[in-house]
Amino acid sequence: MNNTDPDMKMIQALNITKSFGAHTVLDNVTLEVNKGEVIAIIGPSGSGKSTLLRCFNGLEEIDSGRIIIEGDIFSEKDEKHHKDKISARAKREIAKKLGMVFQHFNLFPHMTVLGNVVEAPVTVLGQKKTDVIKNAVMILDKVGLLDKKDAYPSKISGGQKQRVAIARALGMNPDIMLFDEPTSALDPELIGEVQKVISDLAKENMTMLIVTHEMRFAGEVADRIIFMDEGKIIEDAKPADLFNNPEHPRIKTFIDKISRRDAE
Amino acid sequence: MENYLQYVADSTAFILEGSVLTLQLYAVTIIFAIPLGIMLALMKISKYQSLRYLLTFYTWVFRGTPLLLQLFFTYYGLSIIGINLQPFTAAALTFVINYSAYLTEIYRAGIESIDKGQYEAARALNMDYFQTMRRIILPQVVRRTIPPTCNEAITLVKDTALVVVIGMGDLLRSAKELFSRDFAITPFAIAAVIYLLMTTVIVYFFRKLEDKYSIYE
Ligand SMILES: Nc1ncnc2c1ncn2[C@@H]1O[C@H](COP(=O)(O)OP(=O)(O)OP(=O)(O)O)[C@@H](O)[C@H]1O
Ligand SMILES: [Mg+2]
Repeated sequence: MNNTDPDMKMIQALNITKSFGAHTVLDNVTLEVNKGEVIAIIGPSGSGKSTLLRCFNGLEEIDSGRIIIEGDIFSEKDEKHHKDKISARAKREIAKKLGMVFQHFNLFPHMTVLGNVVEAPVTVLGQKKTDVIKNAVMILDKVGLLDKKDAYPSKISGGQKQRVAIARALGMNPDIMLFDEPTSALDPELIGEVQKVISDLAKENMTMLIVTHEMRFAGEVADRIIFMDEGKIIEDAKPADLFNNPEHPRIKTFIDKISRRDAE
Repeated sequence: MENYLQYVADSTAFILEGSVLTLQLYAVTIIFAIPLGIMLALMKISKYQSLRYLLTFYTWVFRGTPLLLQLFFTYYGLSIIGINLQPFTAAALTFVINYSAYLTEIYRAGIESIDKGQYEAARALNMDYFQTMRRIILPQVVRRTIPPTCNEAITLVKDTALVVVIGMGDLLRSAKELFSRDFAITPFAIAAVIYLLMTTVIVYFFRKLEDKYSIYE
């Protein structure tokens, strides 16, 4: 589908595990993401999809294993002491390569649409404000929200909020975008406009991981679909293969259930 | 009648003279207690447990005992162990520490009311702790805590009257002096009007502030 480059690994997760108390949420997960690849992550609630994404940008700490982002070790836990070998500072440097979009947008309510996009490049990267504004205007134009640039988040629709959130993440010029159920909080009629922005990014060969319950969208946009269950990746396949003849009976049940719910 | 008007004017001038100290104490308290309250609130929810305990003890003591007692303590109490403070210094110190205790709790609650998603968004944009607080969390906290802060600011106007007990001249004391001299009720009425004027100005100021911040709601 896209020009993916199998030689350039954007994310390598090696045997990562993560528990909350006694509850193992990620159970020895290994995953490689190539440059330009779009991966959809599906699976039942509580299977660890969000946690997996959040480990990749440091919102959660892994308990063991190793995460490598574009060749740099981002997280490496020593089995015994559970201490990360990578300094917080080095982590933050590496994490700049990832942008994230949340289910509930999490826009900064006290800043305008433009303010949301401009904030981090100025505050975090120390870029010149006039340059940042120019770039932000370009990005807002791309997501179709230039006319809303002076509006506050409370004054725009859910679909527009999520597009601002995408623009905000893009403002940091990331190499990898993480989406955690970007359309789950939206009214059905607003889902399309957000999916379109994500599809456009896919056309530009942005590397993306998208947790979603929208099977049709996953099938259209993704190069690979990962199915997670109880903290494990139980299938990792091309959309057609996964939808048409999944290896695991569990997957078929799940997809049928979702499709039935969507049909209602 | 003319005589009476003259009397009111003279009394007002005298009482206003007394108000200067009241206003100074007011300003010092506000200027120090608000930033201190924000700082202590941040420390009270920090990961350092001993700091949290210490601040819990602090707010417990200063919110749990009368301001009057605290004033006695700093002015008279400390002098017993050889620390002699000027009345104004003692009053300012006590007021700042006392009001910071209340504001600490107000801002702590404000900070804790901010959605966890705001921290995550800031973190995902690679903001560090100070950037997150300064740019994302505290501006929202300030907005949300305008009403309770306004309440404290009004209470403070009236609490300043307590300084008479450590022999400080202030608005109310000037009024009392006139009352004792003339045995007339007018000085108290004048004092009441001045207090009302001050609180009105404060309420107006906070309302403006609220308007300014509410554009994003
Ligand atoms: N901070 C946390 N503390 C304790 N348990 C947590 C925490 N975060 C997630 N969990 C638990 O970990 C499990 C996996 O959570 P996760 O959010 O990754 O699942 P998910 O696959 O994204 O589910 P959903 O489709 O509902 O979003 C769940 O059982 C959840 O309750
Ligand atoms: Mg989730």
